[in-house]
Amino acid sequence: MMHKTFLLAKTMLKMQYRNPDRKASQTFMYIFSFIILLPILFVYIDIMRGLVQSLYQAFEPIGQESVILGLLFLTLHFLLFFISMLTILTTFYFSEDIESFIPFPFEPYQLLISKAINPFIYLYITASALYLPFYFFYGTISGASILYFIVGIILLLLTPIVPFSLAAILIMFVMRFVNVAKNKDRSKVIAGIATLVFIIGINVLVRINTNDDAFIENMVMFLQEQDGLLQMLTGFYPPAYLSTKVLIGIATGVGVLSLLGVITLCILGFVLFLWLGQLLYLKGVLGVNTGNKKSFSEKKINKSLHNNSVWISYIKKELKTIIRTPTFLMQCIVQSLFGPFFLVIILMLDFGNNSLANFSEAFSEKSMILTLFMVSIFILGANPTSYTSISREGKNWYTNLFLPIKPKQIVLSKIGVASLIDLLTIGLLLTIMLFFLHVPGEILAIWLFLTLLGSIYTSSMGTYLDFLNPKLNWTDEQELFKMRFIGLVALLFTAGIFGIIVLILWNIQYFQGSLQIAGILFLCLTSGITIIQKLLTHKIKKKYHLHY
Amino acid sequence: MIEIKNVTKSFSSRRTIDHLNLTIPHGKIVGFLGPNGAGKSTTIKMMTGILPIDEGTITLNGYDIEKQPMEAKKTFGLVPDHPDMFLRLKGMEYLNFIGDIFNIPSDIRKERIERVTKQFSIYTALNDYIQTYSHGMRQKIIVTGVLLHDPPIWILDEPLTGLDPKSSYLLKEMLREHAEKGNTVFFSSHGLEVVEQLVDEVAIINHGKLLFYGTLQELREQNPSNDSLEEVFLEMTNDA
Ligand SMILES: Nc1ncnc2c1ncn2[C@@H]1O[C@H](COP(=O)(O)OP(=O)(O)O)[C@@H](O)[C@H]1O
Ligand SMILES: [Mg+2]
Repeated sequence: MMHKTFLLAKTMLKMQYRNPDRKASQTFMYIFSFIILLPILFVYIDIMRGLVQSLYQAFEPIGQESVILGLLFLTLHFLLFFISMLTILTTFYFSEDIESFIPFPFEPYQLLISKAINPFIYLYITASALYLPFYFFYGTISGASILYFIVGIILLLLTPIVPFSLAAILIMFVMRFVNVAKNKDRSKVIAGIATLVFIIGINVLVRINTNDDAFIENMVMFLQEQDGLLQMLTGFYPPAYLSTKVLIGIATGVGVLSLLGVITLCILGFVLFLWLGQLLYLKGVLGVNTGNKKSFSEKKINKSLHNNSVWISYIKKELKTIIRTPTFLMQCIVQSLFGPFFLVIILMLDFGNNSLANFSEAFSEKSMILTLFMVSIFILGANPTSYTSISREGKNWYTNLFLPIKPKQIVLSKIGVASLIDLLTIGLLLTIMLFFLHVPGEILAIWLFLTLLGSIYTSSMGTYLDFLNPKLNWTDEQELFKMRFIGLVALLFTAGIFGIIVLILWNIQYFQGSLQIAGILFLCLTSGITIIQKLLTHKIKKKYHLHY
Repeated sequence: MIEIKNVTKSFSSRRTIDHLNLTIPHGKIVGFLGPNGAGKSTTIKMMTGILPIDEGTITLNGYDIEKQPMEAKKTFGLVPDHPDMFLRLKGMEYLNFIGDIFNIPSDIRKERIERVTKQFSIYTALNDYIQTYSHGMRQKIIVTGVLLHDPPIWILDEPLTGLDPKSSYLLKEMLREHAEKGNTVFFSSHGLEVVEQLVDEVAIINHGKLLFYGTLQELREQNPSNDSLEEVFLEMTNDA
C-alpha cells in the first residue's frame, strides 16, 4: 500500500518538476537573482531580530514574554491555513493531472497523500521563512538551552499539519456539495472564493466586535498571572497554545505533555483529513474539469456573430481563457486581490476604524505619494498575469505561429491583458484610499496616474521576462505558478528597482513638491516602458519560435 | 502553389528533414505519405511558420514563410495533428475569433458557419466549450475555421485520423471541392489505403527524404511487380 503511494507521489512530482529544456542561461539567472536577493535576506533577518528583541524587552519585565511565541504560532497557523486553502483548491481540485490518475486503481487517500506533497513543500518553505529567524532569535535572546533549539525544529516540522488538515477538510466538504451544481467550472471558483471571504469576514467581525472596555478589563486580569496574555491570545486555539507551551516549558513535565498534545493533534488532524478524503474527495473531484453543456439556442449563435478588430478579438480570447480556467482565475485574479484585501484587514486591526483617518495628516505629501506608489507597484509587480503571459499558452503556443497576427501585436495584447487585470487591483486600492485612508483628492489623482503607468510597466516587464524564458511544456497549469523563479525576478525588476528609486527620492531633501516627485517617477516609468518595448522588439525578431 | 526548396531541419544534430524539394501546384490534392516519424509533421510545421527552417526556403503562393510571414499566413489554413486548442473557448467564439483575424464580414461568416457546421452535425454544439468536444468534433470545428476564411492553400496534418466514416467522407468531399475551385490542398497521412481515391498526386517521404513524387498512375508504372499500391508503399518505406 505504502509502496503504491510512494510510486504515485514520485510520478506526480516528476511530472511537475522535471524540466526537459533547462538551459545554462537559466542556471545563471538563478544564481544572479540569488546574489541580488542576498542583501534583502540579511535585511529581513535583521528586521526579525530587532522585532523579537523589542518585543522581548517589552514583555519580559511583566513576565509575559511567552506571548511572543504564542503570537508567532498563531500567525503561522493562520497564514499556513490560508496558503493551504489556496493550494488545496488548485492542486486537489483545479489541477488537470488528477484525471490521468483516476483510471488507475488507487485509493482516494493515496491520491491525497501524493497530491499533498507539493502543498507541503510550499508550506514548509513559508513556515521556515517566518518561524526560523523568530524562534532562533527568541532562543538566543532568552538564553535558551540546546534542547529548545532541537525541539523547535521538531515543532516546525509538525506545524503545517494541523492548518493544512483543517483547510483540506473544509474545502473537501464545500467541493463535495458544489460539484453537484450545474455550472461546475464557475461554481467551483465561486465556492472557493466564498469560503475564503467567509473566513476573513468572521475574523474581521470578531476583532471589530471586541468591546474595548471589556477588553481592557480582561487584559488587566490576564496580565496578573504568569503567561496570562498567552492564554488570552491563543486559548481558543489549542495547537498554537500547546506549541508555545512546548518551547516555554522545555525539559519540564508541562513541556513534554504539551509536545505529546501537539503530536496527538497532528495525527488526529491528518487521519481525519485522510478519512474524510476517502469519503469525499473523489465525489468532489470527478468531472470537475469538464465544461458544462448548455442547451442549444439559435438566437445565441446569431447574437454572437459580430466583427471585432484583431486587437479586441485577441484580448477577449485571452481574458476568456483566464477567467474560464480555474487555476488561472485563482492565481491571476483572485490571488492578486488578496494583497489589497489583506491591507484592509491589517489596517482595520492595527489602527481601529477611527485613527485611520489620521493617515493623511501623519505624512507629508511627498512621503504619502512615495509610500502609496511603492505599495501599489509591489502589489502589481507580484501579479502573475504578466509573467505567465506566454507560458499560459503552453503547448498551444504554436497556434500563435501560424495565424496571420504580427508577433508584436500578440505580445502587446498580452501586456494589455495583464494591465486590464491590474485595473481590478487598482480599483480596490483606490477604494481603500478613498474610504479608509481619506487621501486628499490631488494626491489620489497623482497616485492613480502613476499607478496606471506603473501597471503598464510591470505588465511589460513581466511579459518580457516570460518571453525570454517561457515554460511551454507543462501538463498542469499549476506548474506555471509554483517553483518558477521568474516571479521573484519579476518582482526584483519592478518593486526592486522602484524601491531603490523611491528610497533615493525619499532621502533627497531637494525634491519636496508632489508634482516634482510625480514628474520624476513619470520619467522613470516612461523610460522604463520605452526600454522594455525596444528590448521586446529586438527579442521578438530573434526568438519568436521559442521552443518549437 | 507550395514550393519547398532544399529544406533541411535537425533536432539536436539529428537530421529530421534532409534536403527536401517539392512543388505542389494549384488545383491539385496532394497526399503527403510516410510512416510514423517520417518527418511529415515537421515539414508541415515549417511550411506554416511553426518551426524555423534550418536551411532552404518554403514559399506559399510566392510568399516566403520566413521573410513575408504575414502575407504567407494569410494564404493558408491549417488543420494541425492535435486539434486540442482553444479549449476554453466555445465553438462559436473560436469561429468568431478566426473570422476577426481574417476579417470576414458578418453575413459571409453566418452563411459559411451554418452551412459547414450543419453538414458536420456540430451546429448545435456551437455554444459549448471546445473542451467538451470529442476528438473528431474538435477537428471539425478547426476545419470549419479554415473553410470560414476560404484560403487558397489548405494544409492538413493527418486529418482523417479520428473521424467517423461519414465525416471522413464529408471531409474528402470538401477537400475535392476546394481543389476544384483552383486551390491547393496538401494533407499528410500514414497510410495509402484511405486516400487512394482522393489524391491527384502523392509525395512519399521516409527518414526526412523524398522517395517519390507523382501521380498514382506513375507510382504503379514504376513498380510493376507489386499487386497493390498499398504494397508499393509498404515496400518503399520498409526499413528492413
Ligand atoms: N520537437 C522535436 N524535438 C526532437 N525531435 C523531434 C521533434 N519533433 C519531431 N522530432 C523527431 O522528428 C522525426 C519526425 O517527426 P514527425 O515529423 O512528427 O513525424 P511524422 O511523419 O509522424 O509526422 C521523429 O523522429 C521525431 O522524433
Ligand atoms: Mg505527424
